[in-house]
Amino acid sequence: MEPEGLDRRQDSFDAFFESHYDSVYRYCLRRLGAADAEDAAAEVFAVAWRRIDKMPAPQVERAWLLGVAYRVIGNHFRGRMRWARLVGRLEFATSRADPGDSAVDGDFRLLHLALQGLRPADRELLRLASWDGLTRREIAEVMGINVNAVDQRLFRARARMKDRFERLREDELRVGTKEASA
Amino acid sequence: MIEPLERIDPAAGVVIDKASLRARVEERVHGTSPTPSRVGRRRLVAALASTAVVAAGLLVLQPSPPVDALPLLTPGFGGLGDLPGIDTVVTLEMGGVKTMAVDADTIWVMEARQRRLHRVDAELGEIETTYRIDAYVEGVVVGGDYLWLLSYDSGGEVLRFEPSSGRVDKRIPLGGEPRHGAAWFGDNLWVSNDQGQLMQISSSGEIVGTVTGELKGEGFGYLWANDPATGIISSLSADGTRGEFEIPTVTRGETADGWGVRSVAEGGPSLFLMDGYYPFGTNLSTFDPATGEFRSFVSLTFGLLDMVSYDGALWVTSHTDHVLMRVDPTTGQVRRYPMPGKPGGLVVADGSLWVSLYHPGALVRVDPAAGMLEMGPIVADDWNRYPHRLVCTGPEGTTGPTVILEPYDWIDYGSWSVVQARLTEEGYLVCVNGYVEGEASPQVRAADLEDALTAYGIPMPYVLVASGDGVHPLRLFAEDRSDLAGVVLVDPMPVGFGSFLDATLGEGGHPVWADISPDVSNSLDGLGNLPLTVIGQDPQAVFLSERALEGLGEEKAQAINAYWQEGLAVYSHLSIDATSVIAEGTGMHMVIWDRPDLVVRSVLEVIARG
Repeated sequence: MEPEGLDRRQDSFDAFFESHYDSVYRYCLRRLGAADAEDAAAEVFAVAWRRIDKMPAPQVERAWLLGVAYRVIGNHFRGRMRWARLVGRLEFATSRADPGDSAVDGDFRLLHLALQGLRPADRELLRLASWDGLTRREIAEVMGINVNAVDQRLFRARARMKDRFERLREDELRVGTKEASA
Repeated sequence: MIEPLERIDPAAGVVIDKASLRARVEERVHGTSPTPSRVGRRRLVAALASTAVVAAGLLVLQPSPPVDALPLLTPGFGGLGDLPGIDTVVTLEMGGVKTMAVDADTIWVMEARQRRLHRVDAELGEIETTYRIDAYVEGVVVGGDYLWLLSYDSGGEVLRFEPSSGRVDKRIPLGGEPRHGAAWFGDNLWVSNDQGQLMQISSSGEIVGTVTGELKGEGFGYLWANDPATGIISSLSADGTRGEFEIPTVTRGETADGWGVRSVAEGGPSLFLMDGYYPFGTNLSTFDPATGEFRSFVSLTFGLLDMVSYDGALWVTSHTDHVLMRVDPTTGQVRRYPMPGKPGGLVVADGSLWVSLYHPGALVRVDPAAGMLEMGPIVADDWNRYPHRLVCTGPEGTTGPTVILEPYDWIDYGSWSVVQARLTEEGYLVCVNGYVEGEASPQVRAADLEDALTAYGIPMPYVLVASGDGVHPLRLFAEDRSDLAGVVLVDPMPVGFGSFLDATLGEGGHPVWADISPDVSNSLDGLGNLPLTVIGQDPQAVFLSERALEGLGEEKAQAINAYWQEGLAVYSHLSIDATSVIAEGTGMHMVIWDRPDLVVRSVLEVIARG
């Protein structure tokens, strides 16, 4: 009895892994950097293995998994000891992503700065929507809020992002003008 | 026009090594997978839980995070989660002291005021299910396939909660409010009431025995209960036999309003007794069952609440100092770890130590092996004069500057514990000014600080750091002084804020703070060119939050925010060398907890500027 049960469990898990490893890994990569993304993603799937018989409906599987990832990263990785190191690494990765020194590339850098300067919840909302490509309903599942709240918060987060970005660009232009006149 | 965020996606175009990831998953799943019996048990629990939902139509709130993970401790803030060795597992409105009970790797957590009972999976660190309990419950015990909830309702009763159905299926009158302690021992629930009776209740819910006594805990195969008339603590066997061991030395037995034993716990070779002025603990004493010796062991601090044995040591919480203490049961050596809230109860579950916090409320898992932040050596501590207190930590013989932390009276001095520990780590002597109960006017506090610094010979110069209404005594203290090196004001309360709130919200709708009058404020000098940093809380997360806007209405919320912001501006004009910072994302008067890193950085930066 048990081996058959285990086989079924393994089969379910295999299909589950195939469907979602990409989303989960990328989610972790975006928040932790390459060195720890795999470790975190593996932890998320280990949780999924233990909970396979409590798995939600297929249409919310991804959101459920990313919700697990949200907590794994938030509670475990950050709390344990690696947070400062990871943040440093992420910033390094971010700065490496700056392609060059053209005006467009400068905007990329300002976007990074604007994003990093947002409140954590705002930042996470925007990342879930833009990078992870989640629907409003999925974002609600991951963050544990209702869909209306997602709408409101996304609206505000985008406004804050835009405001920050424009202020940063104004500051930069001001500094550039001063330097040019000097 | 903002370029789309997708353009800066760090994961875009990254090729995933699927095989490597799969191997890591396998390693975790099969290398450390649950044993079959454990998996089986989990399935059973899951099945029972789902049956409960269907069969009973329960008030089952679905698993976290919806309500519980949101509030003020959201990941990404600098507070709770950043402390090494402390994982915030569940945020609570308010954690309790005796409101946790462990069943294998499940922790049951009761939130008394919210009337919510959480089933927490200790392995995964998340709430599995939340039940609404229609009673005020301040004690939880696991035993005989049930959960026993000690309630103050109806003059005191025990509720028998059946986990498989999620229902309270029996209420047993206690003949008085539950008090002192409760335990599952032998095959019965033992619970004390405020009439000095220790009731023995069978798993069927029948009272099968009553003896005189107040239950203090378990250890060495016995229950331990005192006689309220004599204060003598004696052992109790499962069959009710009393007195094989007696600890007659506690002669001040009047636990209701005097000195007495709060609880006992087994630790190493001894039974430890926590005693103090009711209802808190202060000291630890030991009783050795092998020799019958009773002796005073170690004097800790005021406000002890709970203790438990874990990893070869005794762990003790102090809610006034916001510390978790590790006491070596043999040598008495004490190590102090700051907690990011008021620590209350302690339990051991799934091989880990768990602490409930209140204000801010949370259930945290503590990993002593993960390099937890420690309080520095205590240089001065006049806790014996509590509630008037100065506590200083730091290297012996330091020459200053000394950092003086003035608390928000409403929150209390222990709230500085994390900041104090971190600044001590930086090599500074750090003193927290205590409070003077009942006469905590800013003038008295300022004078008291002056006296205490002189009495203990605390070296100058001073860096003054105040939170909330602590800004008022520090301004008074700073008047006409030339021995200051800098000032940091954290979430400072504007002058006259209480009166303003009275006018805006109606009198009595808020706590009373230690304020100064505008006249007094106007008569005070500025800080000249003294380095000053003003840290404001995040208005978007506080006065302009959805909750505030909804609760106060747009107009009032905006008015309160405007008053507060104006106050920040006034403070930042006190010095010509001033910097202002907004601690983004911080909750209502939570900067100390949410962003201790920012406070520490500001203090160091002010010292550097000086």
